[in-house]
Amino acid sequence: MSSSVDQLTGTGDEYRPAGALTDFDEALAQYKGPWNPRLAAHLLRRAGFGGSPSDIASATSAGMDATVQRLIHFGSDSLPAAPDGDISFDFSPTADQKQRQRSFLATQMWFVNRCLQTPNPLRERMVYFWSNHFTSGLGQDGITPQQMVDQYNLFARYALGNYAELTHEISKDGAMLLYLNNAQNRQAHPNENYARELMELFTMGVGNYSEQDVRESARAFTGWTVLRRQGDAVTFNPQLHDNGTKTFLGRTGNFMGDDIVDIIMQQGATPRYMANKFARNFIYDNPEPGLIDALATRLRAANYDVARLMGVILRSNLFYSDRAYRALVKSPLELVIGAHKALGATNVEPLALNAMRQMNQIAMQPPNVAGWPGGAMWLNTGTLLARINYLNQLALSKGVGQNAAMTGGDQMMAMVENPAAAMRMGANVADPTQWIAGVNMGDAGAVTDRVLWMAVQDDATAQQRQTILSYLSTDDAGMHAALTMENVDEKVRGAMSLAFALPSFQLA
Amino acid sequence: MSTRRQFLVQGVGGFAGFLAIDSIFARAAKAAVQTSIAGASAGRTLVVVNLQGGNDGLNTIVPYGDPTYYRVRPTINVGQDQVLKLDDTLGLNPQLAPLKPLYDQHRIAILQGVHYPNPNLSHFRSTEIWQTAAPERYLDTGWAGRYLDADGKGKAPNLFAGVAVGPVLPKLMVAERTDVPTISNLNGFKFNGARDEQAQADRILGGDGTKYPFQSPYLQLVQDIENHAHAAANQLPHLVSGYKPAVEYPKTPFAQGLNLIAGVVNADVGTKVFYISLGSFDTHVGQRNRQDLLLGQLAGGLAAFYQDLAAHNADDRVLTMTFSEFGRRVQENANRGTDHGTAAPMFLLGGNVHGGIYGDHPSLTDLDYGNLKWHTDFRSVYATVLEKWLGIGSTPILGSQFDTLSIV
Repeated sequence: MSSSVDQLTGTGDEYRPAGALTDFDEALAQYKGPWNPRLAAHLLRRAGFGGSPSDIASATSAGMDATVQRLIHFGSDSLPAAPDGDISFDFSPTADQKQRQRSFLATQMWFVNRCLQTPNPLRERMVYFWSNHFTSGLGQDGITPQQMVDQYNLFARYALGNYAELTHEISKDGAMLLYLNNAQNRQAHPNENYARELMELFTMGVGNYSEQDVRESARAFTGWTVLRRQGDAVTFNPQLHDNGTKTFLGRTGNFMGDDIVDIIMQQGATPRYMANKFARNFIYDNPEPGLIDALATRLRAANYDVARLMGVILRSNLFYSDRAYRALVKSPLELVIGAHKALGATNVEPLALNAMRQMNQIAMQPPNVAGWPGGAMWLNTGTLLARINYLNQLALSKGVGQNAAMTGGDQMMAMVENPAAAMRMGANVADPTQWIAGVNMGDAGAVTDRVLWMAVQDDATAQQRQTILSYLSTDDAGMHAALTMENVDEKVRGAMSLAFALPSFQLA
Repeated sequence: MSTRRQFLVQGVGGFAGFLAIDSIFARAAKAAVQTSIAGASAGRTLVVVNLQGGNDGLNTIVPYGDPTYYRVRPTINVGQDQVLKLDDTLGLNPQLAPLKPLYDQHRIAILQGVHYPNPNLSHFRSTEIWQTAAPERYLDTGWAGRYLDADGKGKAPNLFAGVAVGPVLPKLMVAERTDVPTISNLNGFKFNGARDEQAQADRILGGDGTKYPFQSPYLQLVQDIENHAHAAANQLPHLVSGYKPAVEYPKTPFAQGLNLIAGVVNADVGTKVFYISLGSFDTHVGQRNRQDLLLGQLAGGLAAFYQDLAAHNADDRVLTMTFSEFGRRVQENANRGTDHGTAAPMFLLGGNVHGGIYGDHPSLTDLDYGNLKWHTDFRSVYATVLEKWLGIGSTPILGSQFDTLSIV
């Protein structure tokens, strides 16, 4: 029996622990409670970038287990594996600035549009996850757009693959070799940057190794470099490698970088560090030590198979509990893609990149090697204004021409120079009459409910609903007025803008 | 229907009316009321200017008396006949002429050879180091943000405790508890939307005490910040409406940003830190043209700013500090430019500054891989500003104790 409160909160009858969590096996056991559209939407927000009303309906009818199964065991897609057009990039000071802008923009748009258009949302979601874990920055430290594309494609191949293998691979990735200076790491002049961050941020966390371990492992990574004059080929140059004996985390041998990664993967700190990261990204921000232990045990038992860990998380009691529901702050990328999905838009426009920058997220360019910190750090006066103003603009946007006129600017012009890309540029926010298809236009309450469902899946207060309802049912003079064919476009867009401004929309 | 909006418009000139509006919004507005009263004591404020991209110190404060300078800068040097001489060896880039009178009045301190241990030559990381004041760690907050948190502890929140001019909140201003508005211009700092929708948005954002059908640790935070943003956006135009600039500011975005800052200073709402940036100084190619242009904008803007502040009797309570993520390579490159370097000078300006040149000019021959050796840790400058200007202990903010300088 499901009370009306259960309907509203969307959490199950069976799992509702009071006070501090103690039984983490139960918390991670498979959820058997009621399955409803709000929980389906919750799953799609976390295991992707949100769902359109029809995505949510499909996931609702398929059921929880089948939906998770489909998210995890995804097939191939027909989306481009590389950006449109010429992304060559010349770092020399005299290079063509327009080509630089074009190649940056095309690369960022490639990734952002993949996030929207993918039939396999968890794949792109994991690319985003790994890009914020094994960080590198587009254009930083001499990293070309092509190198970032290659790195993102590596993340896609390992999206739900083996974390230990991915750690081996990323250690030999061109963008990473540049970003953390291993390209300059040679026996004669060791550079410890990669070795340090590998342990501090990518695997174990501080406190689990010594400065001596940093120095010794840096020696093991010497020789891996990028040949900038030979198409940025990644190579191991034995001449630059330190062949001496190294002692690392209590083991001694003539270690190579791969040996260092193997040893790190045997440390108890590594699954714990990663368990914390998965919990903070997919469940909630401040996971209990007991939860971290329980997830770490499972990750270790799965031999670092990420698909198995994510299967546990996305099916768990805890994931569907009110403790996890809307307990994360959407990153700007999630906010932007989620809004497009809600509206049924098929393309993201370059305008979104500028808006994301004002929300403090530059696509494919984390602020530093530690990545975007997330949570409350996304939120301040300026970013909230930027978020709500962008969502307003999106709800009101009417297609390519209008948006091009609204944005202007060099980035836009660069894109306009490429007509093929320009065709795919408009946000294509459909027609508001499509948003309310099947709803009786004369019933302002029904239109209100539809708009609230699309934006926040009913996560609004009674007063907020009333505000949107009265907006939809009055004219500019405050007089009662029904929706008409003349004003429906403007009014429904306005109502959607209001619904996007609800605090609930900021939360995943 | 749109009572709150009407109310806000009618509320110009008197804050009392804010108290009638609904609960959460009222809290934010009330805080601002208290602030505006407390601010009547005309508090001190700091303006941080980021010379973004890495400003070349050698062509800013020119060591014209050192023959080595002309040897390492054969094509981009500032000639001995061009410099504005400060002493027998050092002179200002002539584009800084508008600042020379302030220097002569001892209101500008020039701090030479400032940087940090193990210099990082990446724009991104070095900028972050200057903004977080943490060369050895990755911090989520900026040093000014941590100051605002410490200063605001136990007080009613002030919507304008920090103000960043520009499109994006700089890391320097990122705090844990203090919201810093980022303002590009008065017109842009608001919630967009058609007029009638704005009235609705007031209610959407305001919160009303009715219950959400879920709980979230972040719900209250989002709502509070939305309210702060909303209240700040509504108040700002009224706060600066009584201010009239006493000078004509140059038309550059930098000078216009300083004009905006002067308006908020004049409103005296307790703003402790402002941030503004100018750039890009990343002069790998054709340095003289670009750097001269930017230094001219810097000097023109700051000179107008101080004349304006003086006319409003506010120059004694404003301290302006410049920084750049690094200076540039001593030897010029093949493109009449310079590559990324290390130590560079900082400027401090203000009515209370002990003017003059502080510290030796770094040697042009005793170099660190072609770069100047620094001698003053930038955190000493921050410690000085925090302790001697803003009157707060610097150790908790900077993470350790740094010597202070006698510049203010």
